[in-house]
Amino acid sequence: MEIRIKNLNKNYFSEGKTITALSNVNLTIPANKIFTLLGPSGCGKTTLLRCIVGLEMPDSGEIDIGDEIVWSKDRGIFVPPEKRGLSMVFQTYAIWPHMNVFDNVAYPLQVRNEPKEEIKRKVEETLRFVQLEGFENRPATKLSGGQQQRVALARALAPEPKVILFDEPLSNLDAKLREETRKELRNFLTNLKITAVYVTHDRIEALSLSDAIAVMKAGQIMEIGTPKEIYFGSEQRFVADFVGRTNLIEGKVVSIENDGPLISTAIGTIACQTQTAPPVGSIVTVSIRPEFITVTARDCGKERNSFRGRVESLVFIGEAYEGEIKVGETRLITKIAPTATIKEGDEIGLCVEPDGCSILLR
Amino acid sequence: MVWTRTALTPSLIVIVGFLTVCPVAMLLLGSFSEGLGAFGTFTLEKYIKSYTDPALIEIIVNTIVFMIGSALVATILALFMAYLNTRTNIPFKVLFQIISIVPMMIPHILFAVSWALLLNPSNGLINLLLKQIFNLQHSPFNIYSLPGMILVEGLLDLPVSYLIIAPAMSSFDVSLEESSKVCGSSNLRTLFKITLPVLRPAILASITLVAIRSLESFAVPSALGMPGRIYLLSTHIYRIIATGFAADYGMAAAVGMSALAASVTLILLYRHLTSESDKYVTISSRGYRPALIDLRGAKVPLFIIVALLSFFLIVLPVLVLLYTSLVPYSMVPSLKAFGMMSLKHWLAVLKDPISLLSLKNSLFLGIVGATLGVVLTLFISYTIVKLRTPASGILESLSFLSFSFPGIVIGVGFMWFFVRTPLYATIGSLLIGYIATYLPYGIRPLTSAFVQIHRDLEESSRVCGAGTLYTLRRIIVPLLIPGIVSAWILMATMFVRELSVSVVLSRPGNEVLAVQILRFAEDGLWGKLSALGIMMILVSTTLVVLASAAGAKLTKLRKEG
Repeated sequence: MEIRIKNLNKNYFSEGKTITALSNVNLTIPANKIFTLLGPSGCGKTTLLRCIVGLEMPDSGEIDIGDEIVWSKDRGIFVPPEKRGLSMVFQTYAIWPHMNVFDNVAYPLQVRNEPKEEIKRKVEETLRFVQLEGFENRPATKLSGGQQQRVALARALAPEPKVILFDEPLSNLDAKLREETRKELRNFLTNLKITAVYVTHDRIEALSLSDAIAVMKAGQIMEIGTPKEIYFGSEQRFVADFVGRTNLIEGKVVSIENDGPLISTAIGTIACQTQTAPPVGSIVTVSIRPEFITVTARDCGKERNSFRGRVESLVFIGEAYEGEIKVGETRLITKIAPTATIKEGDEIGLCVEPDGCSILLR
Repeated sequence: MVWTRTALTPSLIVIVGFLTVCPVAMLLLGSFSEGLGAFGTFTLEKYIKSYTDPALIEIIVNTIVFMIGSALVATILALFMAYLNTRTNIPFKVLFQIISIVPMMIPHILFAVSWALLLNPSNGLINLLLKQIFNLQHSPFNIYSLPGMILVEGLLDLPVSYLIIAPAMSSFDVSLEESSKVCGSSNLRTLFKITLPVLRPAILASITLVAIRSLESFAVPSALGMPGRIYLLSTHIYRIIATGFAADYGMAAAVGMSALAASVTLILLYRHLTSESDKYVTISSRGYRPALIDLRGAKVPLFIIVALLSFFLIVLPVLVLLYTSLVPYSMVPSLKAFGMMSLKHWLAVLKDPISLLSLKNSLFLGIVGATLGVVLTLFISYTIVKLRTPASGILESLSFLSFSFPGIVIGVGFMWFFVRTPLYATIGSLLIGYIATYLPYGIRPLTSAFVQIHRDLEESSRVCGAGTLYTLRRIIVPLLIPGIVSAWILMATMFVRELSVSVVLSRPGNEVLAVQILRFAEDGLWGKLSALGIMMILVSTTLVVLASAAGAKLTKLRKEG
């Protein structure tokens, strides 16, 4: 089911101050996709999620889920959370400690007064799906973090909802488990025809899980796109910076070639391969992700986007070296293969693929 | 958050407002009225009459001495016990837990009466024993005196005082003490120069709370004060309405107003002090246990003192009652006495229709009253903790207001109300009076239980499709069961033993246990009194055991699914 959010506003009042949580949010969440709200803490992403599920009432605007209006200030419509037919996985999992696994998962079905055999069948099926077979009679308090997370997921999936909401569901897991669960979650969700709205502040989670991402800041949606569009083609400084480490270089558009503009910067002329280009003469920022900078001992042998610099520092971070290269007065961060034989202080060559450069307008 | 919930807070405010404001308003109006039959006819006569009474000065002085005295007795004993428990290597520390909980289960009126049985001047057992041994002409002790009352009230309030002081004692930063010792002070000097001053807010809070309780106390002043013609404010009010030919509820209300004012002032002071002490007492975050002081040679004598104290507090009262219920008349325990033991008094009580009625009424009030009280406080605590609207703040203040209500004064206030309704002299009037007076006893355990339930547990149920009531039934109530059980136990035991509201509202037809025991005491029927008293303790204990068992079973059932 598609979710449409129109002109949503929400303010909090605390100690005489007004805090804007959502400011004129317009958003369409496509049906049967994994849609992520990404942003730093306090950007309003959780408030938006809670407005969708009905635990929070916006100040104005409208929310439609499928064909139903669940909230409209103007028409005085408020459908309470229990009538919206959604599912949600909470950050704390909210596993009821006085029930066992079976009862936790069966709860939404029991609420709907489904027949006992039907409940039993569906719970077993869902538990098998999340790989918790045989855990039915385990008290909820006797589960590991990862297992609790899967019970929470099973409980959300059991009533076969059209929409499922996730509020930072992986943030309480340790790093390794988080990575595994992320993959599992992606598998579970792509196997189901379901609209998933996922809230997180973790960019890797957002990029690896989502079909589409909306980046939020200060109660506003900054940019919406596929993970690749957001990562490579972002047009905004905040977004480019937030979704991953990047080098930001100020410059001026000097000419427009067939495949994109040439930009004059402090490190030299950079050729960018973009579809939309600002007019000649505009001041822009070029964003180059560290992984798009190739470091070679000599010149990389290409005509365009080839620079020379000196290795300022090299830090081994496991899967790669993180290198800081000084080109003129500009410092660039790069990722260098751990097998490279480069030392600090070396004079090296740098080259950048034109499609690895993007232009930020704001 | 949801529109159906918005109706909850106002309706609770109406109910709690009725329970707390109605008796006070009726008391105020009543004090300016000519009489129960002439309500609303304005007069100042009652105030003039009660406050020009020359005996009033002595009553007020007695009351103040009684309050301060018992506050000091309870607090000093509590300090002594708390220090021994948290700071020294005294053996059998489990005794301290027992001392802090078990005396609450013994009804105050029985505790007071058991001391009368031991130390009354004409035939108190200890007095008789001492007279026999030392061949004395007169009894050496008279419990029917102000010092006697202070001692008994102090012992009664010791658990309350201990529960305030012990946590403060065990939670403050030990390095304050350690640095004093490093500076060369002895343990004793450190105790007086550092420990006690740092604990000052807790000590003051304890003194204030015990003072409030002794101001409100009716059991001790009636069982020990009235036989010796020592009257306090509470018994003075009782005398105005219960003795003589014309009960004057207008005068009782006029006197009650000053008791109420004093009590409200003290409770405000208490709340101020407890919020202060939160700031004052520093809780050590490093979490190491302080080194225990080795008592060495003092270990055994100090332990004997504590053991004796627990004997006086717990064992002796029950033992004396049991003994008195079995012997035909007051006599020193001897072979002869044991030979004359019979169930005479027990059979007499079981044949006495009023005693049986009071047993039935108190049992009903305990079970039904506690159940209704828990349902009401469940909603109130939910509103206070979970909704947190400005209106729920009003609710919180209203329900804690009743904490400062002296039972007998509230009883007089309700009397003015009930006399104009068909509830007068029914068990329903007692039910309402009890719940109004003891509301905070239910709110306290339930609010702390609600605090422990994370908001997500409730919200996830609503997202799963469950409405407010379904969520309450399946999620919140089961998680609250431990809190509900302790609230129920507290209220049920309070209601079974209730005396001070009942002495006003209990009329022929709705007698209750504690009032019946007071009647037996006034008539000197010690044997019957003791038999009924033991039955009362049995009723309370049975309710506690059943409720705990039910709670344990419910929690277990939920876990097994």
